[in-house]
Amino acid sequence: MYVKDGKKYFVFDSHLHFWDASPANWVKGAEEYAKGWIECFHAYQGLGPAETHWPLEKFQKYTVEDFERDVFVNGGVDKAVFQSTYLKEWYTTGFNDIEMNASLLERFPGKLLVNGRFDPREGTAGLEQLEADNEKYDLKGVKLYTAEWYKGSRGWKLTEEAAKPFFDKCVELGITNIHVHKGPTIWPLDKDAFDVSDVDHVATDYNGELNFIVEHVGLPRIEDFCFMATQEPNVYAGCAVVMGALMHARPKFFAKVMGELLFWVGEDKMLFGSDYAIWEPQWQIEGFLDWEMPDEDAFSDFPRLDENGKRKILGLNAAKLYGVEVPPELRGDVPAEEPASAESAVGVA
Amino acid sequence: MTLESRVLSELGTVYDPELDEPITTLGFVGSCVVTEDGDVSVRLRLPTPQCAPNFAFLMAADARAAVGRVPGLRHVAIELEDHYTGAEINSAVARGDGFADAFPGETRGELDALRALFQRKALIAREGRLLKRFDDPGSVKLGQLPGPDGERCRELRRALGIDASDDAPAFVTGDGSPVVDFARFGRMASLTALSLETNGGMCRDLLRVRYSGRAA
Repeated sequence: MYVKDGKKYFVFDSHLHFWDASPANWVKGAEEYAKGWIECFHAYQGLGPAETHWPLEKFQKYTVEDFERDVFVNGGVDKAVFQSTYLKEWYTTGFNDIEMNASLLERFPGKLLVNGRFDPREGTAGLEQLEADNEKYDLKGVKLYTAEWYKGSRGWKLTEEAAKPFFDKCVELGITNIHVHKGPTIWPLDKDAFDVSDVDHVATDYNGELNFIVEHVGLPRIEDFCFMATQEPNVYAGCAVVMGALMHARPKFFAKVMGELLFWVGEDKMLFGSDYAIWEPQWQIEGFLDWEMPDEDAFSDFPRLDENGKRKILGLNAAKLYGVEVPPELRGDVPAEEPASAESAVGVA
Repeated sequence: MTLESRVLSELGTVYDPELDEPITTLGFVGSCVVTEDGDVSVRLRLPTPQCAPNFAFLMAADARAAVGRVPGLRHVAIELEDHYTGAEINSAVARGDGFADAFPGETRGELDALRALFQRKALIAREGRLLKRFDDPGSVKLGQLPGPDGERCRELRRALGIDASDDAPAFVTGDGSPVVDFARFGRMASLTALSLETNGGMCRDLLRVRYSGRAA
């Protein structure tokens, strides 16, 4: 729990990583990509407060002790989900595959969940791997990175026919939370890879069965994301990057983006995620609890966020989606049925 | 005007298609060298090595076309640096080839549809900024739209084949039809504007972090 001004908050970090991007893990012949990827992430860290910046070497590979201090001790995180990200064409053992993330499960019992992943281009072998991962880790979610390279292909769409058996398998196995992360490439390359309309289609197809959490609120297509999310009861906003990249570097944009999300998506469908180790959770949580919509004309059209709303975004919504019990003293005045409810948006389609 | 300032001025007409801002004001022109003999070397740089290849290609190809409009040049080299598809893009742009030739087998076509899609977004965003200035936006004509946003609306409409005459309705949806429901359109347009501005802000921040300590 995170304590601020005598109040206790339940924190569910819906998006973090334990990665190894050190040169020893770079795939031979793909060093340029492996190096570029982690340096790009490192640049994102530069958008947070200066005192939270790490040297590149530490950023490439950090220790379990770093993780414990940053996430649990300083961040007060109660529960966190690893969003496994493979990138095995660039990193020999993966950037942070499920095994690497899971190596921390026993070290911090009851604190961590791992999400799996799938890639429809892997076909039957991929389906079997998903089953095996579920058997081992009792998955409650998967992270899908659509821009991943695979055998000459530079990405995939959720609407591809080959993806359907994987979504059906998720339903069958009770893997209900589908985190979608768009990246810069997709087949065919002449299309907008960040387009979220494929999420729209599968969300409709699997309404009532699967939740779709769009990571980074669809950035850089936040407008498309909002127009879609307002119409789909099972689409949620993963707020990782919104806080990390904007709250400190661009506070006015942060306020407006929050305002738009509150208007179109609603406070019941927004999930805090630190995206650690890009950004440490502590300053994001502290800043978010301090944050208020500016009292200026330019912000007058936006809904306000009170303490209960902040509690939902920081932890209660994700806890609901992941079936995690929250101690009553950490719930504030939020009614049990409210977090993650299907309709809390002000703007209705 | 010197040859170099002509080249820079032409580069200023190249827009980042995703952000609807000139690459020169975004800081994407890392260097521009023009020799006395008229050889030009332009180096483009982007906020991340993973910026989308399709938009990166458009900027490089547009830069080449723009510089090519300057008379009196001998050789023009446009190079996108520090990008994970830089080699493919640079060689295709140098040959004057299209996007499909840069990435054989990975595309279904050229980038005209993608460009038009973002021109529509850009148009809506510009309109979103202008909308607040008018009490009765339904009665406003295109010629009345003021300033750089108004000028850009006219440019984008011409590019999209939407009526850009002065007495055409000022506010149109992405497909060119006059706006009817201004409350809803205004809300969507201001979100679209915010999206472009937020992305532009993040791109500037990332570019600054990426190239801090290195001469522009």
